[in-house]
Amino acid sequence: MIETITLSPGVTLRCCRDARFKQGAFSVQLVTPMAEATAAKNALLPAVLLRGTARCPDLRAVTRELDDLYGASLSPLVRRIGDYQTTGLYCGFMDDRFALPGDRVLARIADFTREVLLDSPLREGGFLPEYVEGEKVNLISTIESERNDKRSYAMSRLLETMCRGDSFGIPRLGRTEQVEAISPQALRTHYETILRESPLEIFYVGSAPAEEAAEHFQRMLAGLAGDRKPLPPQTGLTLGEGSDTVETMDVAQGNLCMGFSTPITNRDRAFPAMQLLNTLYGGGMTSKLFQNVREKQSLCYSVSSGYYAAKGVMTVYAGIEAETEHAAREEILRQLEACRAGDITEGELTAAREALVSSLRAVHDSPGAIESYYATGALSGLGLTPEAYMDALNQVTLSDVTAAANTLKLHTTFFLRGECQ
Amino acid sequence: MNIFHYPELDETVYRETLECGLTLCVVPRKGFTKKLCYLVTDYGSVHDRFTLEGQMYSIPAGSAHYLEHKLFDMPGGRDISAEFAGLGAMVNAFTSYDMTAYYFTCTEHFEDCLRLLLDFVYTPYFTEESVQKERGIIDQEIGMNLDSPDTVVFEELTKCLYRTHPIRNPILGTRESIREITPDTLHRIHRAFYTPGNMMLCVLGDVEPETVAALARQRLGTEKRPTAEKIGPEERELTVSRKLTRRNMEAAMPTFCMAFKAAPFGSGEAAIRRELAAELAAEALFGESSELYLRLYDEGLIDSSFGGGFETLDGCAMLLCSGDSRDPEAVARAVLEQAGKLLKEGIRQEDFLRMKRGSLGRRIRGLDSFDSTCYRLCAYHFSDFDYFRFPEVFREITPEETLALLRETCTEENWAISIIEPIHQEENP
Repeated sequence: MIETITLSPGVTLRCCRDARFKQGAFSVQLVTPMAEATAAKNALLPAVLLRGTARCPDLRAVTRELDDLYGASLSPLVRRIGDYQTTGLYCGFMDDRFALPGDRVLARIADFTREVLLDSPLREGGFLPEYVEGEKVNLISTIESERNDKRSYAMSRLLETMCRGDSFGIPRLGRTEQVEAISPQALRTHYETILRESPLEIFYVGSAPAEEAAEHFQRMLAGLAGDRKPLPPQTGLTLGEGSDTVETMDVAQGNLCMGFSTPITNRDRAFPAMQLLNTLYGGGMTSKLFQNVREKQSLCYSVSSGYYAAKGVMTVYAGIEAETEHAAREEILRQLEACRAGDITEGELTAAREALVSSLRAVHDSPGAIESYYATGALSGLGLTPEAYMDALNQVTLSDVTAAANTLKLHTTFFLRGECQ
Repeated sequence: MNIFHYPELDETVYRETLECGLTLCVVPRKGFTKKLCYLVTDYGSVHDRFTLEGQMYSIPAGSAHYLEHKLFDMPGGRDISAEFAGLGAMVNAFTSYDMTAYYFTCTEHFEDCLRLLLDFVYTPYFTEESVQKERGIIDQEIGMNLDSPDTVVFEELTKCLYRTHPIRNPILGTRESIREITPDTLHRIHRAFYTPGNMMLCVLGDVEPETVAALARQRLGTEKRPTAEKIGPEERELTVSRKLTRRNMEAAMPTFCMAFKAAPFGSGEAAIRRELAAELAAEALFGESSELYLRLYDEGLIDSSFGGGFETLDGCAMLLCSGDSRDPEAVARAVLEQAGKLLKEGIRQEDFLRMKRGSLGRRIRGLDSFDSTCYRLCAYHFSDFDYFRFPEVFREITPEETLALLRETCTEENWAISIIEPIHQEENP
């Protein structure tokens, strides 16, 4: 299904040919180790590249070019995948069969992407200062806007506290003060370094055969020389000391976050069991958390768990009334105890298994899901196709699930609550 | 079933109106594993007054959403979510200002899932105790919205724009209004608006259209039930009730939502043509390819959170934009000025064509999303229009009618702005 082609040493193209969609998509990602010194630069870079090219020197010219390409989109792509951070672009574009006769959209958008990646207007050895300063303000505002979404704010604070000392504790977009310190020259120098030294991953999904796609991407990167070093392998979480923090804000709802550690990552044989445990514990409307914390006790509207498989971290979130914090915590832990003790019904296990299998079956139903599964899977160390993953899930037994539950240790909690309560 | 082909979109649709009045729409997507099924009623939070069996009713704000939560309850303690989960399917629902939708996605057991969906949506079962119990959950959902600047900024704006239209009430209602909701309220709404004639069943995926029709017939029979008559919602007055509202909240930076209030579009092809023209008007005025967007972005008055468009719903229409800004009022002034400039200078034919091409391409790409396609097919159906006809309507739109819309809409009297400012500035250096 996926064809992998090495375009040059360290430059990998993965192709998924599929003619069912009305659009094609590709991502171009430079892969770097997640690090305090470079996180903010990597986050800022694609936005600056998208501000303009030598030929299309402002946002309006760029948008006009994309409108002309049947409303193609070209957007910044910054991902955290375990110990890695990627920086690059994601492109979605209409399939040729809807275009004017003879018009080749992939060829044209690949050429335009080349301009964006390799033909930025420069001044005094740096990117244009007006681009850089403008995008710094935007990035800072994005970082600080996280405060607007109380749930995601609380969750970030939990992970930052819990993973202090591990790359997972570094905020995905860097920190405000790191963004402020970036100069147009420093950003350019950083870009030239990673363009030369970092592995480059391209993922394409669409109607073109792999050989044709390879031609377009070869042309897109023509002249780009490099000595790309492979990255160190992914690691599990380095655990520091746990903590129990309460922060107050002027909010109506309390946001309770709990972080658990597990040695099981997506590189482990026990990974499907852990994924299954997470789903039946807090993965949806039939999960133990939803059924008990919400439906039986009416303690909250949202409650769920999440599993960061590349690192071996599980989190629980509940949006609650501040006074019920104690009751909510107890119930959350009681449900985990039930999982550990094997107090799991056949129905719960089947529902969780079916939910996961169903979502894996649907991976091939959208270009975005295909890109996301394979492009992040390849980097996170998940060596399973959706089909192999489904097979593995079907092999998991109840005792595998309880064994996975027994590896979890509560490490850190973070509670965001109202001030006057 | 009737078959319709749309070669320009590479789509085929099967349609039928059953004897009981239910509209069916099936879009077979060959070769896809996912199936999505929406069962939607043309009824949402703004329909708070209606006449049923000769009697007029006025119901508490938040009732439509409350019913959406409680409809999942079944006699005998059956757990609908668990039954769907047992089939490997996911069931959910949402309430908007003018629609309520129940839907599932599955990859297998489609027929069982469809039976289950029809079963629970057409089985109203509410007890005093279970209605009471839901309050704690909905209270938390309301709390979540009260803490979200994006939700609050829009809800506050509707109070500026409208004097009486029920869009002024949050979809969820308030912590006070939901305390007035009883099992009787929910039964009444179900009888009033969950009639097959007021609903649509829309399926996307690799399914057999005739099977969908047969299953729906089996569950619903042939009897037609009368749907209640909605009273309004409408507001004839075009001027706004207040120009400005300001609130302080836990937020990172000032955020705003600004809108011009327009006359409601009504329904049918003419209305949809106006809506598509209005979207192009919004694009020309403050879209990413506009002069205004570039200038404000360069000046740092807006950032990538800025966006806008035309919103229409039952009895409402507005041209709106929103985003974060250090000076929202300067953005509002610039939008007004730019509208004047655009009306004076007009839109160049070449720019207009490029905008249309971009907009059309984005819509075609959007058809890959099962959810947005299903949603649009239903929403447009309730406006008496076949969504898949958008390319032909699009082609005919002229720069003149786009400008005419801007001229009608962008006036000094009918705009308003809602601003949220952060508290605790000292913590956000």
